[in-house]
Amino acid sequence: MAQQLVKKDDDRDDEAEYSPFMGIEKGAVLQEARVFNDPQLDARRCSQVITKLLYLLNQGETFTKTEATEVFFAVTKLFQSKDMGLRRMVYLMIKEISPSADEVIIVTSSLMKDMNSKIDMYRANAIRVLCRITDGTLLAQIERYLKQAIVDKNPVVASAALVSGIHLLQTNPEIVKRWSNEVQEAVQSRAALVQFHALGLLHQIRQNDRLAVSKLVTSLTRGTVRSPLAQCLLIRYTSQVIRESGNNTQPGDRPFYDYLESCLRHKSEMVIFEAARAITELNGVTTRELTPAITVLQLFLSSSKPVLRFAAVRTLNKVAMTHPTSVTNCNIDMESLISDQNRSIATLAITTLLKTGNESSVDRLMKQITNFMSDIADEFKIVVVEAIRSLCQKFPLKYRSLMNFLSNILREEGGFEYKKAIVDSIVILIREIPDAKETGLLHLCEFIEDCEFTYLSTQILHFLGIEGPKTSDPSRYIRFVYNRVHLENATVRAGAVSTLAKFGAAVDELKPRVFVLLRRCLFDSDDEVRDRATLYLNTLGGDGSVVETDKAVKDFLFGTFDIPLVNLETSLKNYVPSEEAFDIDSVPKEVKSQPLAEKKAPGKKPTGLGAPPSGPPSTADSYQRVLSSIPEFANFGNLFKSSEPVELTEAETEYAVNVVKHIFDRHVVFQYNCTNTIPEQLLENVIVIVDNSEADEFSEVFSRPLKSLPYDSPGQIFVAFEKPEGVPTLGKFSNVLKFIVREVDPATGEADDDGVEDEYQLEDLDIVSADYTLKVGVSNFRNAWESIGPDYEREDEYGLGPRESLAEAVNTVINLLGLQPCEGTEVVPPNSRSHTCLLSGVFIGNIKVLVRLSFGLDGPKDVAMKLTVRSEDETVSDAIHEIVASG
Amino acid sequence: MILAVLFANAEGNILIERFHGVPAEERLHWRSFLVKLGADNLKGVKNEELLVACHKSVYIVYTILGDVSIYVVGKDAYDELALSEVIFTITSAVKDVCGKPPTERRFLDKYGRICLCLDEIVWKGYLENTEKDRIKRLIRLKPPTEF
Repeated sequence: MAQQLVKKDDDRDDEAEYSPFMGIEKGAVLQEARVFNDPQLDARRCSQVITKLLYLLNQGETFTKTEATEVFFAVTKLFQSKDMGLRRMVYLMIKEISPSADEVIIVTSSLMKDMNSKIDMYRANAIRVLCRITDGTLLAQIERYLKQAIVDKNPVVASAALVSGIHLLQTNPEIVKRWSNEVQEAVQSRAALVQFHALGLLHQIRQNDRLAVSKLVTSLTRGTVRSPLAQCLLIRYTSQVIRESGNNTQPGDRPFYDYLESCLRHKSEMVIFEAARAITELNGVTTRELTPAITVLQLFLSSSKPVLRFAAVRTLNKVAMTHPTSVTNCNIDMESLISDQNRSIATLAITTLLKTGNESSVDRLMKQITNFMSDIADEFKIVVVEAIRSLCQKFPLKYRSLMNFLSNILREEGGFEYKKAIVDSIVILIREIPDAKETGLLHLCEFIEDCEFTYLSTQILHFLGIEGPKTSDPSRYIRFVYNRVHLENATVRAGAVSTLAKFGAAVDELKPRVFVLLRRCLFDSDDEVRDRATLYLNTLGGDGSVVETDKAVKDFLFGTFDIPLVNLETSLKNYVPSEEAFDIDSVPKEVKSQPLAEKKAPGKKPTGLGAPPSGPPSTADSYQRVLSSIPEFANFGNLFKSSEPVELTEAETEYAVNVVKHIFDRHVVFQYNCTNTIPEQLLENVIVIVDNSEADEFSEVFSRPLKSLPYDSPGQIFVAFEKPEGVPTLGKFSNVLKFIVREVDPATGEADDDGVEDEYQLEDLDIVSADYTLKVGVSNFRNAWESIGPDYEREDEYGLGPRESLAEAVNTVINLLGLQPCEGTEVVPPNSRSHTCLLSGVFIGNIKVLVRLSFGLDGPKDVAMKLTVRSEDETVSDAIHEIVASG
Repeated sequence: MILAVLFANAEGNILIERFHGVPAEERLHWRSFLVKLGADNLKGVKNEELLVACHKSVYIVYTILGDVSIYVVGKDAYDELALSEVIFTITSAVKDVCGKPPTERRFLDKYGRICLCLDEIVWKGYLENTEKDRIKRLIRLKPPTEF
């Protein structure tokens, strides 16, 4: 029989039929568990039953409360057996059942007995079981034993107590913290694992005491740490100490750097990697500090172990974001990883290469990626597409090959998220690189010819409607749009009708032909499509007369919806159905100002179709609309620029006020956005008294107060100043908010009849040079520089004095001038001693200006700068120099 | 924290699973995610060759041993390298218990012992033991030899 079994064991085909758990059933196993109650225990049989119970639990089987209780009580009987194997199973089973609090008492005495047993292994396991099932009160009783166990000679007992301590720290921190001395002693243990567990627990106990952690790290980095795992922990704690010690040390003198560097020569790969990663993550790490770490990571890239390759490329990928040049040396090794069997490694390698590659390597990289894309999953493809998008933003001249790549992958198979990522990328490139617009739009047109995603089709149609009419030959897009009317579902058809109408409204020559197409849509089977076609035909004058589309009609049909949707939603909710129809004009147009913290969040990168650039408060369009609705501003001319809102109050004060500076040729308008954050107050006749004694070239011409400012309902005050025409006049303005306060009963919402006059001091406000420049990028700086010519070129040199770093100096000048950095030149490679930054923009009066800044370190900290300006007007070139000279 | 240890057979059925700090409602998601990951990538992979993946801040190291695929999921201190240590300990212990890379049958034959090994290796999300010889003794309640 035994021989037969051996034979079967070798014969793989038969095996599956002979699963020891075949046909296992909970009820039967529970019956079998009665064997635990036998007076003469059969240890082997009991172990088998426990195995079956474990199998059931692992298969997701659940026991009812009664069943679990029965099994638990039966298992506790097994403590009578002296069989070691069975006892071990009993410990595991109790942990798996997790008895309820009222049942624990049954087993406590047996476990306490085991905890004091002479057999070490009973002690270790009893500790683990007790800590798993115990609560705070019992813990106090056994604390003494646990403290002893931590310093037990047997490493298994010590580890059991220490790991239990790590878990108990979550529930009973005050008790575990009392074990500090014993844990400290265990850290010095000769047993590697005890040291590892003790170090982990000690750090957790002391994690809020910086000095203690620092002392711990200092003493251990000098001593010996036996286990590689403990060494890794120590490296992590060391990085934490370095991070918290701040930046008050000079690079090169960094404390503990030598220790980290020495770990790079450790015999365990885990330790080497941990040290390398810690070094790459140091704040303000220098190239010199980075080099040895990059070298070991480079070696790992060609390791035979996938985990090491993965770890190395993942770390280098992160380093490439901040120190791309340091990673360049690894490019050859990384290129060979593109064909790595593990796709996670290959994707990380690709995205790293895309970050570190230079302009000349783009084409070669794209070739390699093309082969790679076909055999990876969508989630990896999305990462690659995003990396390509940023590469294209970095090297706009390479847009052709990158755009081609995107359009090729757009034609291949893929899920929604992947396709959306590609479409978003193409849209962003179209927006940012003017030269890429027409090819990009055609790629999108081809895509919608065979697009299975309604959402993407409609979004692209909307985008085509905005951008298509602005191209050199809008008629070429019509075919793609009209095909949708024949071939798609109703949602897409409706979108196509709107797009056709936009072409008709924007391009007069196309109008007759668009009308023909729209008329055909009048017979569509879907209501919405027909309604849209009818609306557009009537409003655009589809009666046959081809006239220029009225601006009001265009605004009505295609203008952005100038009522914030939140406000509309609130108003509709409050509207009570009655004789009186809902009046859309009653919806407030003011947008609630965001809390300060939100505004200061890092600026979002432009997204693709998902977030159309509307957002009422942020666009120049909506500002223009608000300003033009005030008759006093009608003769101010075109709005040149609106600044970002400047906060004039601290966060969370009674009244939140920020200001937007609107710059016109001869005027400046301050738009004060005010919010009353006190529910018990109603403010009336709110004005801002602006003192311009430090801005004497400005004279106030108009002020529009706010009649009433109820709680949490923002309102705006406008104050306009006249200034010399076309000149970047500067000045400082101090502001005081004046108003009448009326008390409000929050219960009824009624305000007192009597009000009290009050005022509230606001922060000062400056008109700075950057307010007169607009950030407008150019796709090819050199071409733009050549085409503007040297006629009005002005060049001069400036000493900027001692600066924190070259990068800080570059940033300061960019902010001072308020121009758009081009071709990624705002990023200064770390440790460079010179840098050139290219800026472009438009100066007030719509005059193009280009700036070339060459920075150099003069001595240890002093920064010198050469500023070359080219513009279409010599006064503007001079003005830019004046800004720098006076800034 | 070691968030999960999973053993599955060639068909993707779970043989053993241990979750730590993963809410019950997320477990099903993890189970199917890991099994799919294995189905996509483990074909043709040699015994004990480690594969690795990461999703946000969670790492996954997985491999195949005989008929059984093994997945370990971790976060924070348990990154890909620490997890490779954990999975190495697990595969060594399983091989030790089964005598060789196991067939599914052999794995199930040794089910109880494998559960005990796992209990010694990972305890509520922390790595407790790493040496197979020591584990072999511990599951029989024998003290370690070096002691």
